[in-house]
Amino acid sequence: MNKVNRSIMWLALVVIGILAFLSVYGAFLGSQQAKEFFNSVPATIYWAVFTLLLIIGIALLRRLLRVPALLLIHVGCVLILAGAIWGSEAGHKLCKKLFGIDKIQTGQMKIYEGYSNNRVILENNQQAEFPFYIALKDFQIEYYKPEHLYIQTLQGESWMFPVEVGIEFSLGDEFGSVKILKVFENFKITIDGESRTIIDDTGPGSNPALELRFKSPDGQAITRYVFERFPGHTQSDDELLLIYRRIISDFVSELQVVRDGQVVAEKKIEVNHPLHYGGYHFYQHSYDSDEGKYTVLLVTSDSGLYCVYTGYLMLCLGVIWHFWLRHIVNRLKTKKKNKIKFKWQ
Amino acid sequence: MAIKYTYQGLLIYLTIAAYFLAFLARIAGFKKTARTLYLAGFIVATVSFGYRSYHVRHVPFQNLFEVFLAMAMVIYPLSIFCRRLLQVGGEAADMLIGAILLVPAGFVFRAEPQRLPPALQCWLFTPHVAVYLFGYVIMAKAMVQAICQLKNNKVDVDTSLDSYEKGTYRMICLGFPLLTLGLLMGSWWGKLAWGDYWDWDPKELWSLASWLVYVEYFHVRYMFGKRYPRLGSCLAILGAVVIVITLLWVNLSRLFSGLHSYAT
Repeated sequence: MNKVNRSIMWLALVVIGILAFLSVYGAFLGSQQAKEFFNSVPATIYWAVFTLLLIIGIALLRRLLRVPALLLIHVGCVLILAGAIWGSEAGHKLCKKLFGIDKIQTGQMKIYEGYSNNRVILENNQQAEFPFYIALKDFQIEYYKPEHLYIQTLQGESWMFPVEVGIEFSLGDEFGSVKILKVFENFKITIDGESRTIIDDTGPGSNPALELRFKSPDGQAITRYVFERFPGHTQSDDELLLIYRRIISDFVSELQVVRDGQVVAEKKIEVNHPLHYGGYHFYQHSYDSDEGKYTVLLVTSDSGLYCVYTGYLMLCLGVIWHFWLRHIVNRLKTKKKNKIKFKWQ
Repeated sequence: MAIKYTYQGLLIYLTIAAYFLAFLARIAGFKKTARTLYLAGFIVATVSFGYRSYHVRHVPFQNLFEVFLAMAMVIYPLSIFCRRLLQVGGEAADMLIGAILLVPAGFVFRAEPQRLPPALQCWLFTPHVAVYLFGYVIMAKAMVQAICQLKNNKVDVDTSLDSYEKGTYRMICLGFPLLTLGLLMGSWWGKLAWGDYWDWDPKELWSLASWLVYVEYFHVRYMFGKRYPRLGSCLAILGAVVIVITLLWVNLSRLFSGLHSYAT
């Protein structure tokens, strides 16, 4: 190994070691602070040096050029770093300055059901506008079935029952039994003079609840209501603690992209299934947990993303080729050679 | 620490007993008995994993309890694969690792079945976790080879097997692509679920750190492999230590709260 190559290798060892150390340091900082740290000016210089070193290595180290798998690995790393720099805040600013491309890097959109919006709230709380509108046709929260009712005594004994209307569940000799009479999506009490009526309101709002009928061993029946939002809600003399629990399986927003009054794209987005349009990805991020009236979308630019993905593909192929396939091929070749030798002997 | 008085618990304890007895038999020189016990342990571990799958109704890779069950199961086929195809020994250590892996699953981790949260309902969930758990077990085997090399530079007792340095290298060659695939699949999945392929989350950063330690290993081996073979072994051990932190400390400690906190 000549002097230049040795220097490059030494530098590579140092740069990799520094990144490993900084990764551990960043883990102690927490996600937000680590993001700021790795996007700071000194870190940007470090990333530039790392990328440059990789490029110099590829150009000068003959072994990298001779072994295609190693070349793939190193070029893949360059593409990942280049794509990451391109997609960063600094990369977006640079693109705006050099090419006049003004893209929003990341932000959030709050859209009410039945309405459309083109305004994005940026990370610095400023607003930006898209040249198109995103309309929310429908927003739904899906739950795992069956939902569950948990009952606990003051002594710590507990039961878990699936929410099935009309079925009676035993609570043992001491507490008798419980039956679920009704499931409410939006429990409300209407007061008309002195009479109170319990209804499942179909209007806006959400207050999931269960109507339960407890039957004591001596045959006495009482009615109780348990609310999803107020676990353990019982009357002061009740011996049983009640919990109504539903587990969310998915959030679904039905979106339309409207440009010049025309619907140009449409998609039901959910977690792991974002919408891609106009150089941006739209993700299901949050929702109105009180009334389910609006959804919050996370918007991210796709700048540099495909460069990063190409890098990933090259890195994967290179690593698999170099560490697995090469050895398998060599082994097969040796086996073949040995067979031929055997025949000749 | 609590004993699990369930069928799942019973299967775990049986596997621990089989693996541990196999280890004792192996170091006592009863090779055949050890291998029979090891195979029995693997069968029980597979039944245990299958039972868990049936119980939770998804591939049981959601939390540390399930991941450790799976790791204890894959150690047997990996052990056979490494011995027969890669000429890498360490069978006795594998038996002990299998038993050790099941101790936290049997006594420490909570085993209550959980529903998959929306973010985990992705086709990448199973391959991402699977490649990592295979990779971690392989890197644990690499660490054993590296420790043997540092303790003793002689060739393995079984003369058909290669030296410990070669063993370490072969194990890392086998495991490194899995760590790479795990890291990149996780990143791709992060983009689909959370909107960014890199979130600077503690788990991501520790995973990157462990990957980089092995990158450093390959560069060090290329530069100083013949002159300082022990340097590579030290890095192989360091890599395994960082993996243990990535797998356990990051998930169990409140110090590293982040996007992966559901995996406890």
